[in-house]
Amino acid sequence: MFRSLQSDDHNLITLSVNGRSVKARKGQSVWSAMAVASEVVTRKAALSGNARSAYCAMGVCFECMVEIDGLANQQACLSRVAEGMNVSTQVITEDTEADAGL
Amino acid sequence: MQAFDCAIVGAGPAGMSAALALTQGGADVIVLDRADRAGGQIYRSASSSPLPDAASLGPDYAAGADLITRFERSGAKHLAGADAWHIGDDGRILFSYQGDTRELHCREMLLCPGAMERPMPIPGWTLPGVMTAGAAQVMLKSDAVVADGAVFAGSGPLLYLIVAQYLRLGVRVAALVDTTPRRHYLDAAPLLPRAWRQVGQLRKGLSLLREIRAAGVDTYRYAENLEVIGEETAKGLRFSISGQPHEVSADTVFLHHGVQPNLNMTRAMGLAHHWNNAQMCWQVTVDEFGQSAISHVSVAGDGAGIVGADGACAAGRVVAQNMLYHLGRVSRTGRDRNSHADLYYLSSMKPFRRFIDCLYRPTEALRLPRDTETLVCRCEEQSLGDLRAGFEQGARDPNALKSLTRCGMGPCQGRQCGHVVTGLLAQWRKESPDAVGYYRLRSPQRLLTVDELGRYNTIPAEAAK
Repeated sequence: MFRSLQSDDHNLITLSVNGRSVKARKGQSVWSAMAVASEVVTRKAALSGNARSAYCAMGVCFECMVEIDGLANQQACLSRVAEGMNVSTQVITEDTEADAGL
Repeated sequence: MQAFDCAIVGAGPAGMSAALALTQGGADVIVLDRADRAGGQIYRSASSSPLPDAASLGPDYAAGADLITRFERSGAKHLAGADAWHIGDDGRILFSYQGDTRELHCREMLLCPGAMERPMPIPGWTLPGVMTAGAAQVMLKSDAVVADGAVFAGSGPLLYLIVAQYLRLGVRVAALVDTTPRRHYLDAAPLLPRAWRQVGQLRKGLSLLREIRAAGVDTYRYAENLEVIGEETAKGLRFSISGQPHEVSADTVFLHHGVQPNLNMTRAMGLAHHWNNAQMCWQVTVDEFGQSAISHVSVAGDGAGIVGADGACAAGRVVAQNMLYHLGRVSRTGRDRNSHADLYYLSSMKPFRRFIDCLYRPTEALRLPRDTETLVCRCEEQSLGDLRAGFEQGARDPNALKSLTRCGMGPCQGRQCGHVVTGLLAQWRKESPDAVGYYRLRSPQRLLTVDELGRYNTIPAEAAK
C-alpha cells in the first residue's frame, strides 16, 4: 500500500483516475498520484491483456503508459498531475485494435 | 547555422560537473535534461525535496543540493524538461520541449545518459506491485511517496540504502531478502585490502547493514530461486535458502541487483560498445577523457560504465577539460594539469569498484530467466520459451531474434530485454557477449506524436549568451 509522507493540505489539486476523483499534490507525478489512490494498473499488456503497472518509475520501462486527457501512450511516471486532468488505464490490445476495425 | 560550443545531454552529477568546468573555462554551454529539476536520478529533487526531513536520506543526498545550486549559478543554459531523442554525429540534437520539437547544433557534445536498474526477469516480475528498488527511491525523493510493508529483494548497496532510508522515515519493511551468494564474499575477500584505501565508502556500506539489523527487519541471506507470488497482482515473494522454502507476504516487491548504463543514446549514435565482464553490462568505448571514436562526441558518468556519483562528478570535470582543449580554450598541457587530480581520483577508486563489482556481481540465476514461461520482453510479451524457439529457428543474434519474435521491438526499445537477450544468446551459442552483440537502435529514442513533430523550432546559440 502506497502512501504520502506529506501531511499538509497545501497545493492540492483534483484529477480523475479511471472515473474516480483523486487528490494529488501540485508537481506530483501522475504515477505516484495513481499509486497513492490505489489505482496501480496503468495499462493492459498488448497481447495477453494482463494488468501491468509501473516497474522502474524513471522512464525506461514504458510499463506505466496511460491515457491522459484522451492521448494514449503517456508515461505516467514522467507526467505531472494537473487540475482537472483525466487519467485512465490504457487498454490498447490486439483485441481492441481488431474491434476498432484497424 | 550558429552552434553552441557545447551541448550536454543529462543534468546528473556528470553533466552538472562538466557544465561547471566548461562555463568556468569560458565556453557557452546548453544542458538538456528530461526532468523538471537538475540532479539526475541520484540527486533527484535534492534541492527541492518534498520530504519533511530530507536529511533522513543521508549526507550524500544533501551534498547533491550544493552541486545543483552551483550548477544553477554557473551560467550554463539549462533546459529543464528537454527530452533528447536524436543525437547526430553532425552535432545536431533533436528534442522534445514543452510539447514541441526543437533542434540545436553544437561543436562539442557530451552525453550523460546515466544508469538504469538492471532488470530482474524472475517468475512474476511483470505483476503489478513488482518494482525496482530504484523506483522506490524515485517515488520517495520526487513525491515523498512510500510503500508500507514492502519486501526488498536482491543485492547491492542501493538496495540496503533504500531499506535504511525507509526505516529512518518510519516506514514498515516486511523483509530484506538478500541474494548475495556466500561464495561472493569469498571471491571478494582478496580484493578487500586494496579497496581499503576507500575506507570511508566501506564504512558507509557497513553502517547501512548495521542500521537494518538494529531495526530488527526480517533479513534472509543467501536467498535463491526467487519467485513473485500472485495471480493478478503481487502477493509476496517465494524463495529458498539452502534448499529450504520460504515465503514473505507483501503487496509490493522491490527488486534490485545493480545498475547498468543507459545504452539507447550511445547505441543509437552507432558508437562502439564493449562488454564489461566485471559489471556484466555493455558500455560505450571511450578513452580516459571520455572521448568516443567521434572526436567531438564524449560520454561521462554511469552512462559510460558504472562509477557512482562521486566518480561521475570527477569524470564530468575530466571530459570538460578535454572539450575545452578541443575548443582551443585550454592548451594540451593545461588540460592535463587541470584534470590530473580527478584522473588520479578515478584510478584510485578502481580497487574499491572492483571489490564492490565482485561482491555484488549479478548472479546468472537473476540475470537470465529460468522458467520457459517467464517474460523477457515485457512490451511484446516474449517469454524465454519464445526466444529459445526463435533461436532454434536460426535467429542467432539479437537483431535476427528481434525480427523473428518482435522481442525488443516495443516502446521501451530494448531497454528492459537487451542485456538479457545478449546473455541468453551468449549462453546458447557458447560465445562471448561481444561476439553476440546487441540490438541495432535508431532515433527517435522516445515516443513522439506526428502533431509534436509538426511543431519544429531551432534554438539559436545566441540564447546561451
